Amino acid sequence: MLDNLTIEKTSKLLSEKQVSALEITNNYLKKIKDSNKLNCFITVSDEKAIDAAKQTDKRISNNEKIGLLDGVPLAYKDLFCTDGILTTASSKILSNFIPTYESTVTANCKNQGAVVLGKLNCDEFAMGSTNKTSFYGPVINPWKSIGNDEDLVPGGSSGGSAAAVAADLCVASLGTDTGGSIRQPASFTGLVGLKPTYGRVSRWGTVAFASSLDQAGPISKTVEDAAILLETISGHDNKDSTSSLKENELFYSNLNSSVKNLKIGVPKEYMSDDLPEEIQKFWNEGKKILTENGAELVEISLPSTNTALPAYYIIAPAEASSNLSRYDGVKYGLRVKEKSLIEMYESTRSEGFGDEVKRRIMIGTYVLSSGYYDAYYIKAQKIRSIIKNDFDNVFKNVDAIFTPATPNTAFPINREEIDPVQNYLNDIFTVPANLAGLPAISIPFGLDNSGLPIGMQLITNSFEEQMLLNISKNLQDTINFSNQPIQWWA
Amino acid sequence: MEFDKNSTLKLAKLARLSLNDEQLNSLEKDLTSIVSFIDQLKEINTDKIDPTSNSLNQDLILREDIAENSLSNEDLLKNVPESELGFFVVPKVLE
Repeated sequence: MLDNLTIEKTSKLLSEKQVSALEITNNYLKKIKDSNKLNCFITVSDEKAIDAAKQTDKRISNNEKIGLLDGVPLAYKDLFCTDGILTTASSKILSNFIPTYESTVTANCKNQGAVVLGKLNCDEFAMGSTNKTSFYGPVINPWKSIGNDEDLVPGGSSGGSAAAVAADLCVASLGTDTGGSIRQPASFTGLVGLKPTYGRVSRWGTVAFASSLDQAGPISKTVEDAAILLETISGHDNKDSTSSLKENELFYSNLNSSVKNLKIGVPKEYMSDDLPEEIQKFWNEGKKILTENGAELVEISLPSTNTALPAYYIIAPAEASSNLSRYDGVKYGLRVKEKSLIEMYESTRSEGFGDEVKRRIMIGTYVLSSGYYDAYYIKAQKIRSIIKNDFDNVFKNVDAIFTPATPNTAFPINREEIDPVQNYLNDIFTVPANLAGLPAISIPFGLDNSGLPIGMQLITNSFEEQMLLNISKNLQDTINFSNQPIQWWA
Repeated sequence: MEFDKNSTLKLAKLARLSLNDEQLNSLEKDLTSIVSFIDQLKEINTDKIDPTSNSLNQDLILREDIAENSLSNEDLLKNVPESELGFFVVPKVLE
């Protein structure tokens, strides 16, 4: 009864008093303890979790009405500042940082009575799509290829957030998505991962990577749970200058799985001979389901698709190099002692940042440096306008866009590193939605011949998350994906 | 753009990173490859296009400039590597 809980199930068990919040929390804490091999957690906040669970139980025994998240064990990517709990961004430079404040996103969950089990491993400062750049070592994907014991990547950067939910070490989790960091790992682990519209969710208190692209969002076992979490973390926040003034919506209670008469666009630029056959197969199956369930498929064109990745790899490193200039050893985090201030900066940053972070800081510094700013950064921002315009045009005629989430399935951790650009291609289907600020979701579709999960992506127009969730629910209820990894880690 | 030792070192200086020879070598190669990847945008004419700094169709929202209590001095200094008399301490800047 206590395993593979969703938020909906947990809430039902609690409100019917079938089990206590403390029992549920203790069960998850035990599972986490037994799953060190997966390396999902950087910090387990057991005392705080037990405290929060006891408070839920008290509310229940006092017959107070409890919300859907009350007593539900969640875990957060280690990028969200949590008051009194170590927050590292998976970097050595923040390996001693204990915030004295709480990010808006996690505070919203806390206010709903959610239980925080701990902080999840990720790529360092969310830079990567393998979870291999973490100072705390890689996360291992709970999924393995059939008949092959090789460890696989969970995807990234929210690799721990995905692996922990897939291995059922928490009910659901929060991640962040700058270029695909929620959707790609969700796809690699058979889960639902949602990136909201830029501005829907406050960035306050979340360690910044690329401020014009970053959005927090849920990774969950079901579309319903994604709706509950999105509803909880959304809303205007005056501490974030790009937080939208739009009214928050009741995504969960308004869920409706009909796709009748919706027009779904399929971009021809995403069709490629390089796409693995099995991903193509599930993409076709999805198109068939949507048509059978009453939607109309339309071939669309997003002509600037191939400019998205190079534009992203200018904008993201540029903003990162600027954001990461704050890590200088003065006010918090690591300090390497030196005689002069400049030497202290340099030694602290060199010792504190890993290779991928250094690479991106260098690229960012280059594209922002005098004489190159217009040629690169402004140019990339103009390309962003073109990409956004492509989507605006398409959304005049369609309600949503349907594509694969990733060009591959989970790959071996020990795959030889060829060239950084090769790794950047992992984000090819996910990056355009970040540049255009659009909401997008990855939903599990099935397993390939080696038994690894494949996810498909839906994108809707800005602030059309309800539509995104509704179509996703339609697909989810038709496909009935219920596969779980075979437990080998405990 | 081909990065060599000098141009990589200059960039590292700007980024306040000190790099050893091995790191310099591998960065030279990586930077050259990444910059040639992003350079493909040069072929696209963007003369008549306005840049988009973020995709939200909304003016930046500013708070009223009113002093209010946020972090206490004690909380601010909880993570400081070195402090004295309630201040951050750094290596001597002026002789």
